[in-house]
Amino acid sequence: MRKTTLSLAAASVLALSVQCAFAQDKPKPPPAWHQGKPAAMADSKLAPVPGKMTETPESDIPISKMKLPKGFKAEIWASGLVGARAMTMNDDQTKMWVGTRGIGRVYEVTNEGGKRTVKVVAEKLTQPTSVYANGALYVFAIDKVLRYDNAAKGVSGQPVDMTKAFDLPPQQHHNWKYVRVGADKKLYVPFGAPCNICEPEKEYAQIRRYNLDGSGKEVIAVGVRNTQGFDWHPKTGELWFTDHGRDWLGDKGPEDELNRLSKPGQNFGYPYCHANKVVDPDVAKGKKDACKDVTLPVTTMGPHTAVMGIHFYTGSMFPKEYQGVAFIARKGSWNRSKKIGYDVVAVKAGPDGKGAKVTPFATGFMDPKDNSFWGRPAYLAQLKDGSLLVSDEQLGAIYRISYEAPAKKK
Amino acid sequence: MLLLRKGRRALLAALFISTAHGQNTAPCAACHGVDGNSVVVGTPSLAGQPRIFLENYLVMTREGLRGNDVMRGLLKGVSDKEIIALAVHYSKLKPKPPVGKTDPKLFNRGREIASKNRCASCHEKTFAGREQMPRLAGQREEFLAQVMLEYRQNRRPGGDTLMTAALYGIPEADFKALAHYFSRLK
Repeated sequence: MRKTTLSLAAASVLALSVQCAFAQDKPKPPPAWHQGKPAAMADSKLAPVPGKMTETPESDIPISKMKLPKGFKAEIWASGLVGARAMTMNDDQTKMWVGTRGIGRVYEVTNEGGKRTVKVVAEKLTQPTSVYANGALYVFAIDKVLRYDNAAKGVSGQPVDMTKAFDLPPQQHHNWKYVRVGADKKLYVPFGAPCNICEPEKEYAQIRRYNLDGSGKEVIAVGVRNTQGFDWHPKTGELWFTDHGRDWLGDKGPEDELNRLSKPGQNFGYPYCHANKVVDPDVAKGKKDACKDVTLPVTTMGPHTAVMGIHFYTGSMFPKEYQGVAFIARKGSWNRSKKIGYDVVAVKAGPDGKGAKVTPFATGFMDPKDNSFWGRPAYLAQLKDGSLLVSDEQLGAIYRISYEAPAKKK
Repeated sequence: MLLLRKGRRALLAALFISTAHGQNTAPCAACHGVDGNSVVVGTPSLAGQPRIFLENYLVMTREGLRGNDVMRGLLKGVSDKEIIALAVHYSKLKPKPPVGKTDPKLFNRGREIASKNRCASCHEKTFAGREQMPRLAGQREEFLAQVMLEYRQNRRPGGDTLMTAALYGIPEADFKALAHYFSRLK
């Protein structure tokens, strides 16, 4: 090979160097979709649950079906936000912005005088999400980063295009991004694996952080298949994040995960080691110690449940036992014959992640009797009064969960 | 351009006309066929497509994310309610049996690729589609090939991105065989 290269080089140095550079940089094509879908499941008809892309009037939202622990109640806080996902608010919570996936919009919700009005402030984007920080609204699409300055009182005018600074890889699958700004004033941005199961190129299956202008890119977690939400622990300041397990290994798993990043650079196992040491049957073949040096989850979160947003509760409205609890929205399964998830759960764990216990909190979105559902809880946010907001991606609505202690018997 | 100018009113009129009278003068029918079976190159047949697929497609086109200028122009300002009515209408029309000669070699090659890549697990064994996943059977061949190419080039945003991933590893040359196979199915 070397000899050939040398003789060729003599003939045309420039042409060869161009060619070589191209050959090296050309990404390996990701594997075909059927990989990871075993012959035994070839006839399976499981497919993603269709999202709803048209508006659902408030009167068509069966909020009364939502079940909560005693003393809690739910109401419709906002509706008409087709495909609503992650929520971000300005400091006084008079403005909220809500991103979407397929419909390509970012909504602005104005919260004034006990009423909410909704308008679209960004559109025609590929799966946009948004985060408010330092008076600006950052919008992340799969292929674009936009910054709307002076957004505290509402987004107006043209954004600054920041795309070039962020070095976004091109693949779309699993690359909708949940984005937050940490106490370190850095943007935390995930890059999912662009496949069900594959050995992805090095820019995927990770969480990065950047300075607000896109400089200082740093990969802080690897082996992350598809995180859809994270929050910082209120006591330790450590990043806790949800992660989706792979598909097509049957109803039992591998389970979704709740992870804790205790130091930058930790490896969370994908694609070789899933959940609590489930070695991948497709890509880890013949690999010794597939789970070596892998940081295992704080807790597994159920098979195919689609764990989304996480929020550590810090309000004073809910009973004491909810202090510091991690609420997690589980959008609900598709790659499972019996539906699971479609709820919000409460995870109680030590600050080091030990002794985690998962209990149902908001349920009733899905009926196990006939495998039907009406809503898909996606993200969580906390209002100043301590009530909890839950976005429902299916019906494009936001619900408010509040608590009132039952009156004491005289 | 004429279609563009006609806009929303014409579109709604088209729904009414094609439903009530089956006339060939309406904007939808002009390209997609009176009965939703297209005879225009590059224009898909709509007859028998799943309702949710049509709804999603129409919404994404209205939002400027998919489709071409003519379709985006026609759908400008069309409400969700009207889109649902259009989707219901076309989902109920009967797809016509495919026309055109079948190349047995290409057909069989397409069938092999489809089977290997488990296309039927979402699009159904008959390729009639379901829910958000379109009918492929009897669809226009050149349209199918074009759509696969658009997915490959990230030019076709979807409700989710699974279809983009589903085409990983299939060479572009094979799109032709897949398109031929699907287009010749009843």
